[in-house]
Amino acid sequence: MNRALLPRASVIGVAALAVFLPLGLILYQSLLDAPFFMPHRLGGGAFEFIFADSDFWDALRNSLLIATGMAVIALPLGGILAFLMVRTDLPGRRWIEPLLLIPIFVSPMVLAFGYVVSAGPVGFYSVWAQQLIGSVPWNVYSLTSIAIIAGLTHVPHVYLYSSSALKSLGSDVEEAARMAGSSPFQVARDVSLPMVTPSLLYSGVLVFFLGFEIFGLPLVLGDPEGHLVLATYLYKLTNKLGTPSYHLMAAVAVCIVAVTFPLVMLQRRLLRSAGKYVTVKGKAGRQRPLPLGAWRWAAAAIVALWLVLTIVVPLSGIVLRAFVSQWGEGVNLLEVLTLDHFRGVFEQPTLVRGIFNTVLIGIIGGALAVACYTALGLATHRKNDGWSRFVDYLVLVPRAVPGLLAGLAFLWVFLFFPPLAPLRSTLVSIWLAYTVVWLAYGMRLVSSSLLQVGPELEEAARSVGATAGQVSRHVTLPLIRHGLLASWLLVFLIFEREYSTGVYLLGPGTEVIGSLLVSLWATGGADMVAALSLINVVLVGFGLAIALRFGVKLHD
Amino acid sequence: MTEKLKVQDLHLSYGDNAILKGVSMQLRQGEVVSLLGPSGSGKTTLLRAVAGLEAAHRGTIAIEGKPVFDGQARLEVPAEKRNLGLVFQSYALWPHKTVADNVAYGLKLRKVPSAEIRQRVDEALKNLGLGHLGERLPHQLSGGQQQRVAIARALVYNPPVILMDEPLSNLDAKLREEARAWLRELILKMQLSALVVTHDQNEAMAMSDRILLLNNGVIEQQGTPQEMYGAPHTLFSADFMGSNNRLEGRVTETRGSAALLAGVGWSLWGEARGGAKTGDAKATAMIRLERVRVADAPGDNRVKLPLVTSMYLGDKWEHLFHLGDLRLRAHGPAPLPAGEHWLELPREDLWIF
Repeated sequence: MNRALLPRASVIGVAALAVFLPLGLILYQSLLDAPFFMPHRLGGGAFEFIFADSDFWDALRNSLLIATGMAVIALPLGGILAFLMVRTDLPGRRWIEPLLLIPIFVSPMVLAFGYVVSAGPVGFYSVWAQQLIGSVPWNVYSLTSIAIIAGLTHVPHVYLYSSSALKSLGSDVEEAARMAGSSPFQVARDVSLPMVTPSLLYSGVLVFFLGFEIFGLPLVLGDPEGHLVLATYLYKLTNKLGTPSYHLMAAVAVCIVAVTFPLVMLQRRLLRSAGKYVTVKGKAGRQRPLPLGAWRWAAAAIVALWLVLTIVVPLSGIVLRAFVSQWGEGVNLLEVLTLDHFRGVFEQPTLVRGIFNTVLIGIIGGALAVACYTALGLATHRKNDGWSRFVDYLVLVPRAVPGLLAGLAFLWVFLFFPPLAPLRSTLVSIWLAYTVVWLAYGMRLVSSSLLQVGPELEEAARSVGATAGQVSRHVTLPLIRHGLLASWLLVFLIFEREYSTGVYLLGPGTEVIGSLLVSLWATGGADMVAALSLINVVLVGFGLAIALRFGVKLHD
Repeated sequence: MTEKLKVQDLHLSYGDNAILKGVSMQLRQGEVVSLLGPSGSGKTTLLRAVAGLEAAHRGTIAIEGKPVFDGQARLEVPAEKRNLGLVFQSYALWPHKTVADNVAYGLKLRKVPSAEIRQRVDEALKNLGLGHLGERLPHQLSGGQQQRVAIARALVYNPPVILMDEPLSNLDAKLREEARAWLRELILKMQLSALVVTHDQNEAMAMSDRILLLNNGVIEQQGTPQEMYGAPHTLFSADFMGSNNRLEGRVTETRGSAALLAGVGWSLWGEARGGAKTGDAKATAMIRLERVRVADAPGDNRVKLPLVTSMYLGDKWEHLFHLGDLRLRAHGPAPLPAGEHWLELPREDLWIF
């Protein structure tokens, strides 16, 4: 092996190990008839058990319904929102843009909790509705509500992909439609959106696939009426049997991955066709916003309604809940304001440690993760060979594994390999799981920076005598330093938000806000949940503020 | 004379798409060779293969007699070990380094002591008329200055051969002619051996000692600028160099190296090139614009054509004549009166392919 290949092979090898080892363990465990640390035999017993369980089929059906509902709601809304934001003179576009991304960076656990305290049977808004019209015309715990809420909170995913496609579309095609007599709405329906079909299709698959992964929303909202989805079914298996039923959990995990993995592969195919589509665009250089005219206010109303339902309702609920001791009919909220919940949080060492750990994992862990992503990015940079194609697929694999499963798999890695056991109760375990779960996201951030470096700048360095390593150190890395800082910030945001990956790794020393929320919710500590949620939102808001201040692009 | 660079039977392809199909060339000490050709002819690919940035699959490349690529021996010295200077079309200055750091980088990699680096960088910058700009960043320079920095960066460690990829194409038309003269002067003064890619035949003729005309991955013809312009071997070479009139017809008679080309209502004697045509074969004749002479009476090898229009080009006029399938352009010092004129196409200047 020559000198240039060795660092490359080791980086790729470590990455492959970090991805395949936990996944392999899940597969192995699913084929045993008992947890791997108990006496076991190879066989399909675990699958037989869950396939015979009617709850499993209920969960599968619910997951399908929710995923479909999400796609049906998020796709048209996200497409229209992207059109309004990118192509028209909608009032207030500048300040709406960052708001649009809030649901992506706020933990679904927090949002779900927000919906409960705002619009649950005794939520703030429900109480007000009761006072005004005598009844509460909604029920956030029904399956339909869960699908609608999940759909609304996933609109930004569709928005991101279709807006970047719309940005590269020339105005001429829209102006031609206007000249032919289309209203703005018809322009969107007949010209702009059909021209970005590949991106819409891609984000549709993405949302459907995320629908299979969602955990926080159905955990919180599905609980009161007993609606299970695959992820919550997996989570509740432990309680169901009362014994560690790792083999059953692994079998469910394999079922989930069996659905998500083909979807990820489908996405990859679609993305490639979307790339081809870009070449058939109009003149991109000249872009003029389409005047909405009389539609202006109707459009603004749609956007405002979405913002209220998706962001204002849950977040205002959390803020209120965190600062009041009680509420309900006849209670003046101003008279019951309190800081007790926060005092409660800061009196519990576990929770304080959780907050500290969350900040630590975001800042230090985020930096380390970006360093890993960069190493992997450089290992495949401008090399179109078998190794690079392998990494292409490698980073996709964790995408198909929901955070909850990834956390579980890493727990098993630490249990299965005794030398690793001491790491289990340290933040290293959380960091490793987070880094692998967000591998695809991080790699996209890093490689989009890498792609912006002109190849001739690197070739120039080689031609004056720099080795591959020297080219990376002296030219490529200095040139992408701003991109790497921005990636760090975005990874910080994602790590602050993450909740499901830490659930199974939660223990003394590995507390993070996200997993603490899940466990506190299970034990009914709503006061603490409210205060912690708000702290989490503030941390994310802090990161977002820095990002906006320094003009970091929050998406591509 | 020593051969600074020798390429033999070089083959290179992207997948199934063959880009170079057996190219051989050499570059001697103090010589400037231009790689000329239309886009897609493989000229830039040849340059990059010499630099080590593209991988050929057959043939050999040797620099100062030392092989750096040998398809058969599976030898491929990486770009950074070839010790060549390369000037990129886009200049490729590193935006995060100052001008002096850009130039110094190659010396740093060669572990030259820092005092010597400073001195050599200063000297290189001074040689290129950039003495006062060392502390600037590339984006603070004009296009012409950036080009000089790129050249300084490639020259500072005294490579045996300097490679230039369309060095003038990023400059505006006015600047380009000045830069051409300046570059030629620099090459002579510093006795560089240079391989230059260009798609502009005027640039190639003005700058180089020898021109290699590439067409579709093979060398169509090579020679001095005078040979290339004055004695092209093929229709492609003739067409690519200079501004030309093209006449399509049939060879009806041959006498030694002379052939008679005839079209509808005209026939002209010319010089058969690239294999003599005989007996009623279809042929194409080519004559440089400046060789067509407007005459006032009938005579040897003359045709009578009506003037369509005259265009004023500043230093001369260009006249356009057109009748049937015969369309001729000619240069002249003054506008011509409307009507028919006699045009003389001297035998030795009308090449029949």
